Amino acid sequence: MGTTRHPRAYRSRAWVGALLAAGLGHSLVTHAAAKDSDRIAALEQKLDQSLQLIRELSARVHDLEARAPQGTPLAADQRPGAAAAPAGTAAPIPPDTAQRLAKVEQTVTQMAAGAGQHAEEGLATHGFADVGVGNHNAEFPQYRGADVAELDFFLTPRLGSRTRALFELNFEVGSDGNVGVDLERAQVGYQFADSATVWLGRFHTPYGYYNTAFHHGQQIATSLRRPRFIEFEDHGGIMPAHTVGAWLTGAERVGDQKVTYDVYIGNSQRITGGKLDMNNAGNTHGSTIVGGNLGLLLSGALDGLKVGVDVFQTRIEDEDQAPAYVTQVRSYGAYAAYDTDSWEDIAEFHVFNNRDLTGHTGTHRSDAGFLQMGYRAGRYTPYARYERGAFQQSDDYFASQATGSSYYRTALGLRFDVDLVSALKLELAQTHLTDRVIGSYDEALLQYAIRF
Amino acid sequence: MFTNSAKLLLAALLCVGCATASAADLYLICNSRVPLSAADVRDLFLGEKQFAGAVKLVPVDNSAAQIAFLERVLKMNAAKYSTTWTKKSFRDGINPPLVAGSDAEALADVRRTPGACSYVTTPTPPDVVVVSRL
Repeated sequence: MGTTRHPRAYRSRAWVGALLAAGLGHSLVTHAAAKDSDRIAALEQKLDQSLQLIRELSARVHDLEARAPQGTPLAADQRPGAAAAPAGTAAPIPPDTAQRLAKVEQTVTQMAAGAGQHAEEGLATHGFADVGVGNHNAEFPQYRGADVAELDFFLTPRLGSRTRALFELNFEVGSDGNVGVDLERAQVGYQFADSATVWLGRFHTPYGYYNTAFHHGQQIATSLRRPRFIEFEDHGGIMPAHTVGAWLTGAERVGDQKVTYDVYIGNSQRITGGKLDMNNAGNTHGSTIVGGNLGLLLSGALDGLKVGVDVFQTRIEDEDQAPAYVTQVRSYGAYAAYDTDSWEDIAEFHVFNNRDLTGHTGTHRSDAGFLQMGYRAGRYTPYARYERGAFQQSDDYFASQATGSSYYRTALGLRFDVDLVSALKLELAQTHLTDRVIGSYDEALLQYAIRF
Repeated sequence: MFTNSAKLLLAALLCVGCATASAADLYLICNSRVPLSAADVRDLFLGEKQFAGAVKLVPVDNSAAQIAFLERVLKMNAAKYSTTWTKKSFRDGINPPLVAGSDAEALADVRRTPGACSYVTTPTPPDVVVVSRL
């Protein structure tokens, strides 16, 4: 039910309200003004004190200068207790002044050392993320449409002059379409010298070039995705991309060139659920993966070119079979990468000589490789890639992996650097499956990748 | 007597001269306890050299002179430098150089940090070592 009030009543209330507001406002302003005037008075007092102190110090300096002979500087490194200058040549510094100077010097030295330490401490956090859309998912071709690929956090805490650590925590969408969390890398290392660092933990197995040059964040890679056969284990890769163990790595200058090396040993991997697993907790039989990589970085006219060879051997247990099949996997690789302001060209080739240790199928030879060429033209980088994997299906190591079928793929792509930290990539690819299932599919993929 | 145009021309030439002199002068400076040679500069700022004897090196970029430094010493542009460090950081777990905003800031960093090296556009006081005039 509505009520009717007289307009005068409204006016009276409005006036009362306005007066109250004005009074309140005025009292606040008055209070603030009083506060300001107090502060100004305090500041004036401090200023007077400072001026007085300056006057006293000036008088003291003047006094000291008058006592010292002209042209004789005061000894900067004079310590308390040090012998005073001979009488008649320089007046001695009063002991209390010398003590105070020494104290100031000590404090400054401590502060400098502290600042140096602080530069080496702290936690640097970075991240990567990418999303995409396409007629297929770039990693799992059974899906199509828009996709979230991953959110990758990367931590490199500053621990001191020789201890290093590197952690990579990745939230990624798996083959089941759900988001999973993976500690992709967890390395703690000690740097003995520029030429030797030892890492312990989980790291990217240093075979070839691509696996250690790039990681899960796609923003730093020119192409939209990794070559299929060196994808990570849970994204269709058929090589052990991660190792849990120890890794000695370094580089040494030899003349104008630089030699790089990697030697590593770790838990041998296994196959479970049709995928490679790096045995994060250790394995039950104590077998190992052992490998090495030797590279040469050239200079002069070939500046930017790296060539190298690598080898590894591991013992893979296929736990999807009962009893488990065991394969000795031995891989030899060679690679070349040319990385300059304008070009990024990478070629990598691997041969697998595998032996069935359970004696069912004997020895097998397979191979895989890719060639990628990219040209940086300002913010645009067109690239092309050809990759191929020829895997013996009588070899349990490949036959038991869900993505272990032979294939070849051609791809043309364009990367556009929106700015230094984000890139838009378009890729058109054609993939041919040549055994197990014979067929082919075309892909049109778009990706937006960032780092932060 | 100079005409106004001549004065303008003279002023412009002086400005160009100043700019050229400024572009030409670049000094690599290090904390006095750093035994470093000019040949190590490239490796130092690309994270390839991290120790000089037992001293841990701390490279400090100077944003006021960075473009000239990258062009003249590292022979790369800023984008390539950034990408190189990103890749290096994520491969080797090391962090890119700290960045000072001016010659004065770079000088202060070098003075107070054992193992620090940077580059400046002006001659420096005697308490830091000028490793090289670049």
